[in-house]
Amino acid sequence: MALFALLREAAPAMLTGAGYTLLFALAAMIGGMAIGVPVALMRIAPVAVLRWPATLYVSVMRGTPLLVQIFVIYYGLPGIGIEFTPVTAGVLALSLNSGAYLSESLRGAIASIRQDQWRAGFSLGLGYGQTLVHVVLPQALRVAVPSMSNTLISLIKDTSLVSVITMTELMLATKEVIATTFQPLPLYLAAAAIYWALSLVFEQVQRLAERRLNRAHR
Amino acid sequence: MRTLSFFSSRRRACQLGAVVLALGAVLPASAADLLDTVKARGSLRIAMEGTYPPFNFKDGKTGQLAGYDVDVAKAVAARLGLKPEFVTTEWSAILAGLASGKYDVIVSQVGITARREQAFDFSQPYTWSSPQLIVRRNESIAYQSLADLKGKTLGVGQGSVFEQQARSVPGILVKSYPAAPENLQDLAFGRIDAALNDSLMVAYLLKNSQLPIKAGARVGAVERMGIPFRKGNPKFKAALDGALAGLQADGSLKALSTRWFGSDASRPAH
Repeated sequence: MALFALLREAAPAMLTGAGYTLLFALAAMIGGMAIGVPVALMRIAPVAVLRWPATLYVSVMRGTPLLVQIFVIYYGLPGIGIEFTPVTAGVLALSLNSGAYLSESLRGAIASIRQDQWRAGFSLGLGYGQTLVHVVLPQALRVAVPSMSNTLISLIKDTSLVSVITMTELMLATKEVIATTFQPLPLYLAAAAIYWALSLVFEQVQRLAERRLNRAHR
Repeated sequence: MRTLSFFSSRRRACQLGAVVLALGAVLPASAADLLDTVKARGSLRIAMEGTYPPFNFKDGKTGQLAGYDVDVAKAVAARLGLKPEFVTTEWSAILAGLASGKYDVIVSQVGITARREQAFDFSQPYTWSSPQLIVRRNESIAYQSLADLKGKTLGVGQGSVFEQQARSVPGILVKSYPAAPENLQDLAFGRIDAALNDSLMVAYLLKNSQLPIKAGARVGAVERMGIPFRKGNPKFKAALDGALAGLQADGSLKALSTRWFGSDASRPAH
């Protein structure tokens, strides 16, 4: 069967590409969380000096296309002497971008926790940081999980943009096979199936996280 | 025929690339000639798309790069006494990468145009080819020129010289596609009346696409393909041109062209 033969021929290249996609997405998820959590905390900080750089960062990252950010980091920064490998540049751009969205999800979730939770913390003699960590954040995380998962699952698909900086992730690998086989439809569908399969794994992680964080609310 | 005009893009990314290039152009270039740099490194870093058969593509069996450009690049590197190092990247970003020094040269059917020559230096041409129409196998009209396509729908590559030529003829409904497979599939489906592509690619398309299509007339001016590199490297240009002239003189280029295209595209008249 021709379709089966086509997919078997395409499989090694596409699965290798999918591996890179997964690695990029995982690295950027870790990077995005490492950036997003402190940025969210800076944006709700009582001190204006902390708030405004975080606000600026979120505004710039949400207000410019990811493709532009990848271009500037990889092709633009060498002009001022900052040189990254394609892998570093890709992970950095994806982390910086998703970090901004993650911080907004978290900030919204923190804002949804009523003020009396803070006041209750303070009245028990807890400081700002203690109230944040022990009272507000555990409740906020539960609210934040669905929208943070949205961002993280989007990341898996956003990795396709790093093909412009010489990385052969799933999309570019698929295009390479299409270029020689001239069968766009089955191969794009196969790529879509792989993206979906990867996303299903992360949906499962989301479900587990929700169940864990909901234990106190049953 | 690498088709992208410098400032009108096949994809959005190219315009971004142009912006990045403009930023980079303000900054001083390094003083050493590229020839000294590559000799010291011992390798030539060559960029290509890897999705443009029969010029450069990933071989389905071996997963390795193959094609006319690959063979030419290897032969040039050998003449220069350098080890070839290949980088594949999307066409939309390929010129930006050259400008910011991610690689030394592009060997990917880059057409020599006046606009590109403002930004880069080119080797002497190593391939000549012309635009050619592709139509459905059962097409009854024999289009002889672009003017014959008035009122018809013509598919072209986004931002390609083919696109520019098609749009320069009033009355043609031009549709632009990201790449040849999508373009040809729409042709087979009957969504467009004809497609315009590189004459050197057409033979390969007909043989490998398994679509009900056939070759039409050659309709435009002959294009010259060269190897671009960053400006201000006279020693490198001399060495590169010397290598290409040598490959032309000893018949290697002709042999490679015949192997991949079945015709000699290594000189103007073919």
